[in-house]
Amino acid sequence: MASVASPSFPDYSTQAPTQHMFSPYADNGGSVVAIAGDDFVIIGADTRLSAGFSIYTREQNKLFRLTDNTVLGCAGCWCDTLTLTRILKARMQMYEQEHNKTMSTTAAAQMLSTMLYYKRFFPYYISNILVGLDTEGKGCVYSYDPIGHCERASYRAGGSAGALLQPLLDNQIGLKNMQNVTNKTVSLDRALAVVKDVFISAAERDIYTGDKIMIMVITKNGIKEDSFDLRKD
Amino acid sequence: MSILSYNGSAMVAMKGKNCVAIATDKRFGIQAQTISMDFPKVFQMGPHLFIGLPGLATDTQTVMEKLRFRKNLYELKENRHITPTVFASLVSNMLYEKRFGPFFVEPVIAGLDSKTGEPFVCNMDLIGCPNAPEDFVVGGTASAQLYGMCESLWEPDLGPDDLFETISQALINAFDRDAISGWGATVYIIEKDKITTKELKTRMD
Amino acid sequence: MATERYSFSLTTFSPSGKLVQIEYALAAVAAGAPSVGIKASNGVVIATENKHKSILYDEHSVNKVEMITSHIGMVYSGMGPDYRLLVKQARKMAQQYFLVYKEPIPTVQLVQRVAAVMQEYTQSGGVRPFGVSLLICGWDNNRPYLFQCDPSGAYFAWKATAMGKNFINGKTFLEKRYSEDLELDDAVHTAILTLKESFEGQMTADNIEVGICDQTGFKRLDPSNVKDYLANIP
Repeated sequence: MASVASPSFPDYSTQAPTQHMFSPYADNGGSVVAIAGDDFVIIGADTRLSAGFSIYTREQNKLFRLTDNTVLGCAGCWCDTLTLTRILKARMQMYEQEHNKTMSTTAAAQMLSTMLYYKRFFPYYISNILVGLDTEGKGCVYSYDPIGHCERASYRAGGSAGALLQPLLDNQIGLKNMQNVTNKTVSLDRALAVVKDVFISAAERDIYTGDKIMIMVITKNGIKEDSFDLRKD
Repeated sequence: MSILSYNGSAMVAMKGKNCVAIATDKRFGIQAQTISMDFPKVFQMGPHLFIGLPGLATDTQTVMEKLRFRKNLYELKENRHITPTVFASLVSNMLYEKRFGPFFVEPVIAGLDSKTGEPFVCNMDLIGCPNAPEDFVVGGTASAQLYGMCESLWEPDLGPDDLFETISQALINAFDRDAISGWGATVYIIEKDKITTKELKTRMD
Repeated sequence: MATERYSFSLTTFSPSGKLVQIEYALAAVAAGAPSVGIKASNGVVIATENKHKSILYDEHSVNKVEMITSHIGMVYSGMGPDYRLLVKQARKMAQQYFLVYKEPIPTVQLVQRVAAVMQEYTQSGGVRPFGVSLLICGWDNNRPYLFQCDPSGAYFAWKATAMGKNFINGKTFLEKRYSEDLELDDAVHTAILTLKESFEGQMTADNIEVGICDQTGFKRLDPSNVKDYLANIP
């Protein structure tokens, strides 16, 4: 926040200590949703970048391809996201050159946790969701808190509309509080439909989520990108 | 932490076709410690009128008693039942009287107009700013979760049975993601000639 | 404050059990200008004499028929200044009600509240009862209402009534002319005829006032409008 410089009166200066304030964080909003299936995983993030009541851009991609089968979705402080992903990509390149192989999704997930905890007392202010295929080719979703707590799940919502969307995923994907349901596995078509639906709902009530969603579908054949328009107000 | 989230609560009301429903959790706790799992937060104020008072538990009870007092006086004076719209104005007016030292409740009102049978839902902030939308209203510490649930589960013109299923799923899944609400739920389905009260069994952790 | 302790109510019982102050107030009403009210099937009319002693008087600047809210109107027999205080209070009570309930005040409610004020003035210290009887007409619940409010705080619901000077003749006249299925236009006609019964001198659009209330709300009739009604009167 740019502030007007306060006028200075040198004649009236005192010995009293002066307080200077600096807030190192900004909340730029955004939501990320990921759903894993048996042989795929999808991740979606809205493309609105905002601060307070203003929108910086309506088309900011928040999904980062780390490898051919690993994608990271970030929501929160955008400058931290830029820094984190820059260092993350560098670390992954170093890994590739040292070990002569691409980093697995599980390894990337563990490294992200370590990198976040490394800044335990000046954290990256980001909700991260990392998705990919594990060594067996199954879809996996890892979610993080800003200081590196990592949990593997089969679906997750994060970011500004996380609280709105997570119970919905519990119900629709996790089939929580449902009676007489057997089919536990989710199909790709169903997962795509749910991701679109939940983002439409989030855009209704969360001012930091809207404009468009980018969706990435990761299968053994690679990553497919897709997008879907949301309300823009 | 806000006083509004000292005790924890989750509440939702929805419109259907010729019916409305209001659902609430049953927890009473002090911050993270659960004290009771059978705490009433929704009260009947007329043959087709209910009010839920999520927020600070002591104010839930005080406000309920003050509203019952004013509603009873109104009904004696005017010799007729209070309509949901008039009751909502009464609540709004009473809360605004305490504009600078408010009751920490965010009321949720659901009812059918006694003459027309028109469904009515309404919620307010703690100083009585009313909001009466066409679909649903939510309140309590799980309101963000409830908005997410309702926004995708609700659809227009639900019958009483479908409305019950929708409101129950919305409430349960929402408060399962809120640490300080849940522990059982009660749903009231209000129809012209019938009021159904259903107790829901939910996870108790 | 100290003086308030000793300001007893002027309205006290006589040994025979009467409140003579109220009887005097009713006498003031009975000496006041006549007014009538008639309920019709589709509305209600109130009317009164508004005679002036001098031709210099500007007739239509001060009115006796007053609107209280969009669907309630009022007129009086008795003392003008007392009436205006009650009009002011009634308007305030109507708005108060709307503020709380976001619904127009039912006529019965307004009447009860105005009557409560009038009653208060029969029992409070340092005041006298109002020297007016009110006719309050209104439209709600899809039907017309007509009430009379006396200085004692008593109120009555009428199909048709007359107050003020010659009210007994007026009532007798109305008893003969009234029928349940009267239309509003006929009721206005009958109201004017009732006033004419005891009217001294020539009745014109400038010395009577008429207010009507129906589905669309309350309004005071324009002199030109009143003139049209007078034209139909023999």
